[in-house]
Amino acid sequence: MDSRNGKITIVLVVLCVLLGGGYLAYAALGPDQTTTDARPQAGAAPSGVAVMVRAVDPSKPTLNGRVFVVEDGKVSRRSGDLACERVYYAAGRGICMGVAPSGVDYTAKIFDANFQTLHTIDLTGLPSRARVSADGRYGAMTVFVAGDSYLGNSTAFSTRTTILDMADGRQIGQLEQYEVTKDGKPFDAVDFNFWGVTFAKDPNRFYATLATGDHHYLVEGDIAAESMRVLRDGVECPSLSPDNRQIAYKSRIGSENRWRIHVLDVKTLADHPVAENRSIDDQVEWLDDATLAYSDGTNVYTVPADGSGEPQLLVKDATSPVRLGR
Amino acid sequence: MYQVEASKALLKPRLWAGRAARLRVPRNVVMLGMVSLLTDVSSEMVATVLPLYLVFSLGASPLVFGAIDGTYGGAAALVQVASGFVSDRWRRPKGVAGLGYGLSAVGKVALVGAGNTIGGIGAIIAVDRVGKGIRTAPRDALISLSSAKDRLATSFGVHRAMDSVGAMLGPLVAFGILFVAPARFDAVFVVSTLFAVLGLAVLILNVDGRPQRLRRAERGEAAPADADADDKAAPSFRAALGLLAAPRFAPLLIAAGLLSVASVSDAMIYVGLQRNIDFDPAVFPLLYVMTAIVFMGLAIPFGQLADRVGKVPVLLGGQALLFVTYGVLMMGSVGYGALVLCLLALGGYFAATEGVLTALAGTVLPEKLQASGIGLLITVTSLGRLASSLAFGGLWFAIGLQSAVICFVAALALAMMLAAPLLLRAQRAALDG
Repeated sequence: MDSRNGKITIVLVVLCVLLGGGYLAYAALGPDQTTTDARPQAGAAPSGVAVMVRAVDPSKPTLNGRVFVVEDGKVSRRSGDLACERVYYAAGRGICMGVAPSGVDYTAKIFDANFQTLHTIDLTGLPSRARVSADGRYGAMTVFVAGDSYLGNSTAFSTRTTILDMADGRQIGQLEQYEVTKDGKPFDAVDFNFWGVTFAKDPNRFYATLATGDHHYLVEGDIAAESMRVLRDGVECPSLSPDNRQIAYKSRIGSENRWRIHVLDVKTLADHPVAENRSIDDQVEWLDDATLAYSDGTNVYTVPADGSGEPQLLVKDATSPVRLGR
Repeated sequence: MYQVEASKALLKPRLWAGRAARLRVPRNVVMLGMVSLLTDVSSEMVATVLPLYLVFSLGASPLVFGAIDGTYGGAAALVQVASGFVSDRWRRPKGVAGLGYGLSAVGKVALVGAGNTIGGIGAIIAVDRVGKGIRTAPRDALISLSSAKDRLATSFGVHRAMDSVGAMLGPLVAFGILFVAPARFDAVFVVSTLFAVLGLAVLILNVDGRPQRLRRAERGEAAPADADADDKAAPSFRAALGLLAAPRFAPLLIAAGLLSVASVSDAMIYVGLQRNIDFDPAVFPLLYVMTAIVFMGLAIPFGQLADRVGKVPVLLGGQALLFVTYGVLMMGSVGYGALVLCLLALGGYFAATEGVLTALAGTVLPEKLQASGIGLLITVTSLGRLASSLAFGGLWFAIGLQSAVICFVAALALAMMLAAPLLLRAQRAALDG
């Protein structure tokens, strides 16, 4: 328009650059925000139980936390630089999914028994679930992927689940590309999402959740055949017991994002709830064939798998429990 | 590349103005493009980090965010029609657009102040969506009214290209900030707010709210009486509704609806590609970026082409590019060559259709009802897209991806055959008028 408005615009641009630059400098010089220095504290754990956990600061539940081993009611070891949002470990191989040091994106690290990083994998989304087969051969990771908003796409979320070769960190499969059957017939839809892999004793076999529409199907998969089949509805984040006879999982309450922990019998597919009556969003871990461990986001608890008893605090200020010494 | 270009654009509007002069695009259009660029940087910054922010600061599952996000899509469609009409009725396209840009800016400020609960963020997203719904129709009407009729497609091409520069820059700026200051989301929100405020300032200070075509139209009709000229010139709700049956505009509306129903949305195309693709999943986020770059590069040349050879041939040609995309989707496995071809076709399709269609509407619509008509057009196409997504998802589930794509090939061919005569009729009417 006229030159006066042009001048005002230029003044505003300069002002905004100064303000924005100043605030950015103030933020950049502040303390590091991506990793917490929190330490977990052992609860009244029964002796003989050894778990690996990720430390959490209760006031900021999702900052990267270091990895600790809690044994016989004492914190026995901790990782050095290794810090994550999700951790899992078996037979000398672990997966640590977390925020990259830049704070901008996410990476997964494959680490050994000494918390040394062997391989680093860039993740395409936010960490959700991690599992390693009992023999340490395969790993599975689920991330949340945002639909980018270029050209007006929606920002709705989907999940992506990858199978890893733990020896070399190679991604050997994506559940989204496996063939799925339901009642013996091919099954496919645009909104398929997979998450929460759990491996069987035969590491080629696994269970996972397939979500489509309002359904959350339990599927049984075969890595070599790149296929899955639907077993039943209403099962999220399955976790197979060490003897492979039972599956602990999240059972959704209504249509909200609230869940109860249930346990089902692999043979009959019949299920029962356990004695934790709060909503839990976690992939449950089995301490032994009769005991579950899980996190409510800030602490790790145990509860009997048969529905009896009540929850017991296992580790305070920790998430991602992993049974050790099998 | 685009980063350099846009930062120049930010600091030296004259560079753009110089280029625009060569394109013979009115200054008002370039300024509106700048407003959109700045606003898109602002909102894409937030869109990029919001999921990270939710998980990082609030410990929320990102699925919660999906629910927050999906709720407001329907409301936005209604807002568009209403804001278009209000803008015509009050004859204040700039004011109504400003209200929309202002609401989004207020949303960003609120994010800095109070964005630490899920409910709060949901409300802020809703306000942002409403703001976007309000501003689109009056802004496009302003672009249309600022340009000569034979340069309209070029004007829209320039605006859309600038708009997508902003959409590309937003995530880069956001990631840049988080790279310098890890996990300092407050810094992202502060800078985003500043971009939004600048966008609003450019609108208020540098955009002419009563461009040539509008003034001329008002003068022509408001001449006889002085006292109640305003009432006579301001269009009634009935006049706006009459557009639905107007012999010039209705065929365009029907054609746009048909074409949008037969076009698979890009989100669906990406999901389809994901199922068939043979390479590293890390490439997926690049699909959007590559499509956006193609769109950015082609929006202006396709607009110029449409002004030279006619909007309908370019529109239909762009629509035909979707057949290439459908063809790639039907392949059992997709290699790099096919993927690049698919994304080129998709970007070209976007560049040759949305802006050109709006330009065609701009030539057909009477000056008094530009915003109402464009609002209707946006609503019809977005409802069409919604129907398309539902149909495609349903078909995929029922008969599989490849058969679903075959259905859409047939549907698109049919829609193009039906739409072509309707569009040509609208174009002829525009030339006669």
